[in-house]
Amino acid sequence: MMELDQDSWWMVGMSFLVALPCALLGVFLILRRMSLVGDAISHSALPGIVVAFAFVGDLSSPWLLVGAALAGLLVTFLIEQIHRHTRIKQDSAIGIAFTSLFALGLILIRVIIGDKVHLHQDMVLEGNLQHVAYAETVGVMGLDVPDSLIPAAVVAAGTVILMIIFYRVLTLSSFDSGLAASFGYKPAVVHYGMMAVISVVVVSAFEAVGAILVIALLILPGATAYLCTHRLKLLLVLSVLHALVSSVMGMYFSVWLNGKESAGVVVAGTGLFVLAWMFGPADGVVIKAVQRRNRKLDEV
Amino acid sequence: MIALETHDLTVTYHKRPVLYGVDVEVEAGSLVGIIGPNGAGKSTLIKSIMGVVPHSGGWVKVFGKPLADNLHRVGYVPQRESVDWDFPVTVMDVALMGTYGKLGLFGRVGKRERMIASEALDKVGMLPYSKRQIGNLSGGQQQRVFLARALAQDSDLYFMDEPFAGVDAATESAIIELLKEMRECGKTVLVVHHDLQTAREYFDHLLLLNMRLVAYGKTDEMYTTELLQKTYGGRLTILDEVAERAAKTPEAKHEI
Amino acid sequence: MMWELFNVGDVLALSLSQKAPIAAICVGICCGLLGCFVVVRRVALLGDAISHAVFPGVVAGFMWSDDRDPWVIFVCALVAGLMGVGVVRAIVTSTRLKSDAALGIVLASFFAVGVFWNSTQQFPGVDGFLFGDLTTIADVDLWLMVGSTFAVGMLVCMFLRPFRVLSFDEGFAIGLGYPVRFLNGLFFGLLAFAVVVALQAVGVILVSAMLITPAATAYLLTNRIQKMMGLSVLLGVLAALGGWYIASIDVRFQTGPVITLLAAFVFACTYFLAPRHGVLAKYLRRSGMKSRVHRENTLKAIYRIIEEDGFKSSGVGVERLAEVRKLSFEQVTKDGQQLVRNDEASWEEGKSALYLTSSGWRRAAEIVRNHRLWELYLTDQADYAADHVHDDAEQIEHILGADTVRKLERDLNFPQFDPHGKPIPNLETTLQMEKAAGKQEETGY
Repeated sequence: MMELDQDSWWMVGMSFLVALPCALLGVFLILRRMSLVGDAISHSALPGIVVAFAFVGDLSSPWLLVGAALAGLLVTFLIEQIHRHTRIKQDSAIGIAFTSLFALGLILIRVIIGDKVHLHQDMVLEGNLQHVAYAETVGVMGLDVPDSLIPAAVVAAGTVILMIIFYRVLTLSSFDSGLAASFGYKPAVVHYGMMAVISVVVVSAFEAVGAILVIALLILPGATAYLCTHRLKLLLVLSVLHALVSSVMGMYFSVWLNGKESAGVVVAGTGLFVLAWMFGPADGVVIKAVQRRNRKLDEV
Repeated sequence: MIALETHDLTVTYHKRPVLYGVDVEVEAGSLVGIIGPNGAGKSTLIKSIMGVVPHSGGWVKVFGKPLADNLHRVGYVPQRESVDWDFPVTVMDVALMGTYGKLGLFGRVGKRERMIASEALDKVGMLPYSKRQIGNLSGGQQQRVFLARALAQDSDLYFMDEPFAGVDAATESAIIELLKEMRECGKTVLVVHHDLQTAREYFDHLLLLNMRLVAYGKTDEMYTTELLQKTYGGRLTILDEVAERAAKTPEAKHEI
Repeated sequence: MMWELFNVGDVLALSLSQKAPIAAICVGICCGLLGCFVVVRRVALLGDAISHAVFPGVVAGFMWSDDRDPWVIFVCALVAGLMGVGVVRAIVTSTRLKSDAALGIVLASFFAVGVFWNSTQQFPGVDGFLFGDLTTIADVDLWLMVGSTFAVGMLVCMFLRPFRVLSFDEGFAIGLGYPVRFLNGLFFGLLAFAVVVALQAVGVILVSAMLITPAATAYLLTNRIQKMMGLSVLLGVLAALGGWYIASIDVRFQTGPVITLLAAFVFACTYFLAPRHGVLAKYLRRSGMKSRVHRENTLKAIYRIIEEDGFKSSGVGVERLAEVRKLSFEQVTKDGQQLVRNDEASWEEGKSALYLTSSGWRRAAEIVRNHRLWELYLTDQADYAADHVHDDAEQIEHILGADTVRKLERDLNFPQFDPHGKPIPNLETTLQMEKAAGKQEETGY
């Protein structure tokens, strides 16, 4: 049996902390059929981060969160504008908006920042969890905690709290926006609020997993849980469990195969999804086949 | 008492008028059928009264006040197809949603809310299914759940969008019994309905609609050939033509 | 001017190879052609998913060939892309998950597998496929690209009609007896093909921009699919060539992002400036309509004043007009100026009164007639209360066409009075007043 050293466990912690808020929000993205808006936001956070970074020159500055949140709102706004004022449909609008913002971000990295710092393009795509190992440590309750864990923990905790407070509003407006509107919940406010929170969460995950793998963190846990249960609360719990298990398994994978940690986490998450797809109690292919057979036998 | 009053209510979709100046006053305690051909704007009428679809002209008053001030006294039952029945919630969860309106943004669901929801489910005969996921229900059962949710809202005025669409005969008669019971308790219910035959026995008032209000009154008085002809006798062609043209013209509404 | 052209020629000649522009043209053609169907079929994000899904195929190609044999990479990428499409379909058909979630899952998980695999082996050169680089294209690559483009072009032309029907209405295509499954398979196969072709130029991440942006731009410019395809190919080729040119000037620019931004820039311009669907055109049309409505309202007010006075003169004092219109004196003077500029009225000396010209009269009478006819129609045939119809008529009067008016008159049996009892202007009175106005013009009163 392989052993994980302490640094690896910190990496597991970091990856769980960024995956946790993504998983919770992702559940609602899936239920609202907006998974690809999450895709768009995660790509377009890049120019926001780069511009903010160009001003403050520090990758762990909270201003990066602000920059990316603004970029996230910008892309949702652009998508709205394109598909409301022209006959271009929403999917194409998403495609146009996020590819151009992402391309802008890539160019800005080279032009503004150059090679001075390690905001390297690979990192943009894939992130890097190893920063955790080299980070300065802060003493928290007698433990030496790498300092990059702190903001991630704050974002995760904030998301969980927001989720508990607005659980009802989110559920109702996702299930039946008409009734929600008649109760006086503003659908537009819920929509943009959710987009803003997603942008913040995406940035907090940015350093760890990059702009593309974060889509997996958003969608995979929710999709996996969706195939396992019909109950929303359980679904949220399961998606968090998915985030945890894939963080641990991913680290083992990457130690075992000597691969990249961030990608390992997503590969592990994909494995869990495939398992749920086959054997998920609520919607697994095998389960459904067995049920069909039993029914047939009953009829006979 | 007047439960609902609309004045010159006009709705446009993409600048195309779908509902022209509807004036109607509904007495509290009536069971009203909203009748008209396809595309007459029946659903649009109740959606715009509820503010789900914005109206471009006119106003709505509920129990003598603007809708926003009396929102808690109004219940809305959307069409069954308008929601995703794969949504991971149980029958109980849906019934509980009816109580959200009174809870406000931050209130928490407690024992009292559960009681209300259970009672409502019991009334529609769905209590035994309360732990089921909503996707595993038949069409009639889904409609009953929606009705239970409306009951849990405990409103004084209800709008229901095609509650009889795609339900079995047993559910249909159960629903109408329930609606009549609600009327006896002094509630006002407006129901979008498309079957002219059954409308006569179900409702005490009818609202005939065809892009505009054709007539509103006691059911017996509505069954005249002239009125039905007006309701179902095709569209007013010029009205359609002009609506088409208005849709194509850039907006210039606020010009004096 | 000549010198500038010369300079461009110089740069072209000096560029690392002539392969790059040819490759750029190939990418533009492939993506432009298929992008049209992608945009009208609303499967734009499937292109995005495919482009990410090919990445593990690229890595496999590096893994399984000795010295990055382009053939192996090409085939592996293609297979991975098709697998991506297959998995999306499988998820949607076998579970309750909707297509958006399925696309997201395939996109991210395939990509992650590629990244993970690559990170365990660290092949040099794989990164080139992430962002694209036109300058490092080898001879074999180029031949592959040219050949593929040719094949894609041929097939799209051959299957143009069925593809068009399929994109418009799949049910109808089934009804026509088209082999829809085969056609869909072919379409998504070609899409994967195009993505792989474009991979070297713009990279995995931004291929979808090449698919979507030029085609969406063309969609704003034309209604016909053939024209749209032509335009989209043209725009795609221009963006690719332009991007390659800019990227060759400065090493900091990479081809992929630059091409994407260039295409987005063209889209933005079109978004604002397109003749029919552009935002600016819509705005201009709206403000044109607004000023026309305003002018017509002034004319109508003048008509009403004159009507109140019993058609004694064809002129009206500006003060009186301001009072009726409930506007300031200055505003009304400005409005009068508008009418004069449009040759619908003339000033009395000192600008204290306006006289309608004969064309002004005709228009004013038309508007009033439209207004009153419409009010009558609404009360008579649509059962409106008489106090409801004015506001509606205020809007409709400006958009009623001559044929509708004729129909209205016929349906209402050539009425004389509106619901409020005011006379509806008819041809006779109008002609009479026109003549009077004409005389005024001649005599100068």
